[in-house]
Amino acid sequence: MLFLRRTLPLLIAFIVGTLGILIYYIPHTAAQDLEQELARWDRIIAAFAMLLGIYSLMSLHLNRVKRQQGGWGYSFLVFLGFGLMILFSLYNDGLGPFKPQVADSGPFVWMFDNVQVPADATMFSILAFFIASAAYRTFRARTPEAAILLVSAIIVMLGRVPIGVLISDWIPWFSQWLMAVPNLAAKRGILLGVSLGAIATSLRIIFGIERSYLGGGE
Amino acid sequence: MKDFLINLDRRFIFIFVAIGVILPALTTFPLPIKPTANVRAIYNTIEEVAAQNGTVLISFDYGPGSMPEIQPMTLSVLRHCFSKKVKVVGMCLWPQAVGLVQQALDTTSKEFDAQYGTDYVFLGYKTGMHSLVINMGRDFQGTYPQDLQGNNTADLAVTQRIFGLKDFDYVICLAAGNTPDGVWIPYGQERYKFKFGIGCTAVMAPDQFPYLQSGQMNGLMGGLAGAAEYEKLINTPGTATDGMRPQSVVHVIIILFILLGNTIYFLYDRKKGGAK
Repeated sequence: MLFLRRTLPLLIAFIVGTLGILIYYIPHTAAQDLEQELARWDRIIAAFAMLLGIYSLMSLHLNRVKRQQGGWGYSFLVFLGFGLMILFSLYNDGLGPFKPQVADSGPFVWMFDNVQVPADATMFSILAFFIASAAYRTFRARTPEAAILLVSAIIVMLGRVPIGVLISDWIPWFSQWLMAVPNLAAKRGILLGVSLGAIATSLRIIFGIERSYLGGGE
Repeated sequence: MKDFLINLDRRFIFIFVAIGVILPALTTFPLPIKPTANVRAIYNTIEEVAAQNGTVLISFDYGPGSMPEIQPMTLSVLRHCFSKKVKVVGMCLWPQAVGLVQQALDTTSKEFDAQYGTDYVFLGYKTGMHSLVINMGRDFQGTYPQDLQGNNTADLAVTQRIFGLKDFDYVICLAAGNTPDGVWIPYGQERYKFKFGIGCTAVMAPDQFPYLQSGQMNGLMGGLAGAAEYEKLINTPGTATDGMRPQSVVHVIIILFILLGNTIYFLYDRKKGGAK
């Protein structure tokens, strides 16, 4: 049992991880064919991972309903929305589930256009209001560094909209310079740090040092 | 008055932002839109592809939440391609994009009388993200044996001579997530060295500058402003151009609130450590 729960996943991670790294550097056709095959497997696994995600989401909301946690009524909406969209997807505007999905008509498209699109866009657009409120309350020049950040932010905000050009041609130019020089330098530094961290974590997983993905609190 | 300003009710700010969005959206006043070099680079590359009678792959990786920013880019790039007879292959790494892209293709193909199969092809969504790009790199038709409508890609005029990512003259990613720098550059552009340009949300744009400088991408449309610049280049003002009015006014409102907040902070609130 321990072999199935721990040794086998570690072995698979080691073999597949090592292969994944090695074949990247081997330009031979056999290595590239193997990479193509592994990528195909990965896509199949990714499709099944979606099912796992759906199961996880449904069981979470089922538990909320069972325990009558706060806002449990909304969990019914999850089941309703999910069930309806699955049904409409199978109906496929009258063609049935075995024909290519119709993307320009039918109840599935109607629900997407008239429920998901406006709901999602509304959620995202609310950000403008919260950003304005948060900026008023927290964006303060408390230190010299914060003052530099504040001035840069104002220049970029003006430089990214046409009103900046109306004020002065220098504002868009300076905004672009801020993005292309100090921003780039900082982003590249962060990117290198994150990449090195990712490489270190990947090696720890491949060599079985990092085992948290196995679960069980280890 | 002092206490009122220090602890200003957020609903006052919300009202100002709402007015700043609604009034400029209902009125028209001209604003100068000047295309930047990064946006112009995408436009120029499509012009070059048109001169070669080439094919562009567009990866649509966004959803309804980012539709106001990215959909105008989709419409503008498709209009540009169809007007210059550039063949287009569309695909999605985000499932939510399929419906939005279908709408855009229906609209723009009718405008320019572009024919499905000979002028454009839509592949829809497939799982896999980076694995999908790895497979497309060497075996395009094996990865997408059929398009969204069930036609064989080997039989369609647009895709029958496409065998890998190298066969595309230009790849554009219109994205609201990390697909340009997390998927297309490491698993596609860096390996197959195709020309690559992106359109993304404004919040993503600063993250893309290292790739612009390194030459891994040759152009960048950032946010609604980028979309408006592209609309200017193709001389077809749309929702992005209209959106510049409310966006300009709201930016000014936010800046004024920041300045007001700092004035109050330095006048009254500095010793107390700021508003709660």
